[in-house]
Amino acid sequence: MIRVVTQFAACCRASDLRVSTSEVLDCSRQMALVDPGDESQFRIVLQANFVKTRRDQARFDALYRLFFHCQGAPAKDEPGSPGDHSPSRAVRSALDRLDSLDAQTPMDNALASLIQGDPVPFLSQVHDLHTREETRTIALKSNLGQLSGKLGIMLAINGIRTRIMSLAQGMEDLTDPRDRRRFQDHVDRALGAAFDMAVNEPGELNHSLKIVSSSDKRFSGLGEKPFSCLSAQEMDAMREVIRLLVRKLKDQVTRRFSVRNRGVIDIKKTLRLASRFQGIPLGIVYKNKPPRKSRIVALCDVSGSVWSAARFMLSVLYSLQECFDRVASFIFVSDLAEVTGLFDRNDINQAIDKALTRDDINYHDQTDYGAALQAFRHRHMAVLNPKTTVIIMGDGRSNYHNPQGHILGEIRERCRRIIWLNPEPESTWGTGDSEIRTYKAWCHEVRTCMNLNHLISFVEELVL
Amino acid sequence: MVFSSVADVQAKLEAASYIPSVEIATVVFIAMATQKPVLIEGPAGVGKTELAKAVASSLDRKLIRLQCYEGLDEAKALYEWEYAKQLLYTQMVRDRINTVIAGAVSLNDAVDRIAAQEDAFFSERFIQPRPLLQAILSTEPVVLLIDEVDKSDPEFEAFLLELLSDFQVTIPELGTRKPITIPFVVLTSNNYRDMSDALKRRCLHLYIDYPSPEREMEIIKLRLPGIEDRLLESLIRTVVRLRSMDLKKKPCISESLDWARALLALGIRDLTPEAVDATLNVVLKYHADVRMVRQALGALVKSP
Repeated sequence: MIRVVTQFAACCRASDLRVSTSEVLDCSRQMALVDPGDESQFRIVLQANFVKTRRDQARFDALYRLFFHCQGAPAKDEPGSPGDHSPSRAVRSALDRLDSLDAQTPMDNALASLIQGDPVPFLSQVHDLHTREETRTIALKSNLGQLSGKLGIMLAINGIRTRIMSLAQGMEDLTDPRDRRRFQDHVDRALGAAFDMAVNEPGELNHSLKIVSSSDKRFSGLGEKPFSCLSAQEMDAMREVIRLLVRKLKDQVTRRFSVRNRGVIDIKKTLRLASRFQGIPLGIVYKNKPPRKSRIVALCDVSGSVWSAARFMLSVLYSLQECFDRVASFIFVSDLAEVTGLFDRNDINQAIDKALTRDDINYHDQTDYGAALQAFRHRHMAVLNPKTTVIIMGDGRSNYHNPQGHILGEIRERCRRIIWLNPEPESTWGTGDSEIRTYKAWCHEVRTCMNLNHLISFVEELVL
Repeated sequence: MVFSSVADVQAKLEAASYIPSVEIATVVFIAMATQKPVLIEGPAGVGKTELAKAVASSLDRKLIRLQCYEGLDEAKALYEWEYAKQLLYTQMVRDRINTVIAGAVSLNDAVDRIAAQEDAFFSERFIQPRPLLQAILSTEPVVLLIDEVDKSDPEFEAFLLELLSDFQVTIPELGTRKPITIPFVVLTSNNYRDMSDALKRRCLHLYIDYPSPEREMEIIKLRLPGIEDRLLESLIRTVVRLRSMDLKKKPCISESLDWARALLALGIRDLTPEAVDATLNVVLKYHADVRMVRQALGALVKSP
């Protein structure tokens, strides 16, 4: 039993499901308490120990299926274990002979050991492929690295199937046609599972994602008009409304801070402080301290596709920085630049103009979210801490470049919340080159933000 | 009292008016047998807190509940020194100090003698145990419910770690308090933020989803034995359809229960569009949701 559990744990680790030794220990201990012959109980015990968040559920399900139902080899010593596809003796000895298979590439080796019952090398190769970074900075960017990797696996799968079948022709273990069929079924099942794994990476199950696409109808005319269809006059009117909104927010924040010193006296804390001075209450402590708003890191797409919305996004970014004391702001197209200092020094219109005419950003480049995230990870990961809220503003249209969603996953691990503001209506998410569906898996909240009403309800929810 | 098998968990929880799925029963059984905390995730209102209550009542244990929120600190969760009492005692025993240091040959000697008395002020007498300390110092084993742990700060999570792995608490002035009994610990989370790996590693994980229509029917029947099958079936069908709509707040088990209660109180025996319209406010909590559902009333209640 311990062998099955440790092998399965190795598989989980190979596809980046974090399983520690203590969990393997706990799990083996708990197996003694339930009836491992009952598959539902067996599975529940594994799941309760190995899946520590709902997000990993889909990946666990895929691994469980691959390990216990697509190949029976690991369970061969334990007749009580689930896995009703245990290969017969003849098939097993045929499988052992696959060592003589002339494997040229690491992928061939990995596939052969998958068929023989050890999926770990295969899983770790597939995982590498899915999280591969585009390292070459040639003139034409693409996500062909990943695609060609997948193609390579498919070709390797087909190649190895042909070779195994021709090898099987000459095996004396498989003279019985029933054994031969069983052997073929076994190989097909394992290779089919390998194909599924390579092509569809089990996504993260983002159950708690909050999608907001509606808002209170605060302003009926101007408030409902998308940023992209505003006339010059309306643009001015809009700026005025945003200015008022910002003023109101600032009032709200200052009021909250001034209230802090007028609350009820906290007797306990006052006495605790007084005990340092022989019981004389030198300092008085008040209750009702409002919960501190945490730090904000904002990333704003300023490329052509969101040009119309970018100005408003930037003005919100600017006002956020005035309302909260710790905001770090970044803009990106395919490279990333920090604009926190720029916003601190200049007034709003100047700051936005300067942000949109920087030398270190090529505004006519193709938007590449993957590259921007990669740049953020390399240079600015240190600004994140468990109290940070990350706000990303952009349409997620990445010109078919590698979206590198796993970087957003790393960011998620380091911060408190990720909120994505999308200036497109929900109906167009995921169409064309939009990668918002990829990124959605790692966000805590995705909101449409295409007009003033959306913007107002978002900012109010964030501040109040 | 403990559970003897998975089936026993199921039977006892059912007797406490909680109908568990096999998964819930198995995880509760393992957690109880191996003394591990359970971290329960799931949408609001599927019975996460209710499970802890049911375990407590089925085992006849006391339930100690700690509601987490932003800003919760050790003083409110673990223990607090009773400063006022310490201060009062200091005032009262001030005169005794002279007798303690009487006959001291040097200043050093006097300080040593006072230092020898210091323990008198940092002893259990002046400690006020909060829920977490209460749970491990209780002479009878209890059920400890740490509710909505995702709402607490990362700092709070850090000091939960010691408690969850060894069931002990370190008080700097007193040393480590060992547990008298091991509590059955349940943590619930609405997934507002992700919990740290260290915390997750110490817990068994359980995800409770919306129940299957059959299980939800059983639950409502258990609570409201008077309800007619036909009404119940159409009610559950409607609730399932509501959950598939894009609502701000999806109806959960407690809302289906409230709805069933409201229908019974009003004497409604058929779930017609008019009846739904009149009672929609019981199930839906946002005006925008009510408005959206009103537009689709016909499709909502029609039989399959």
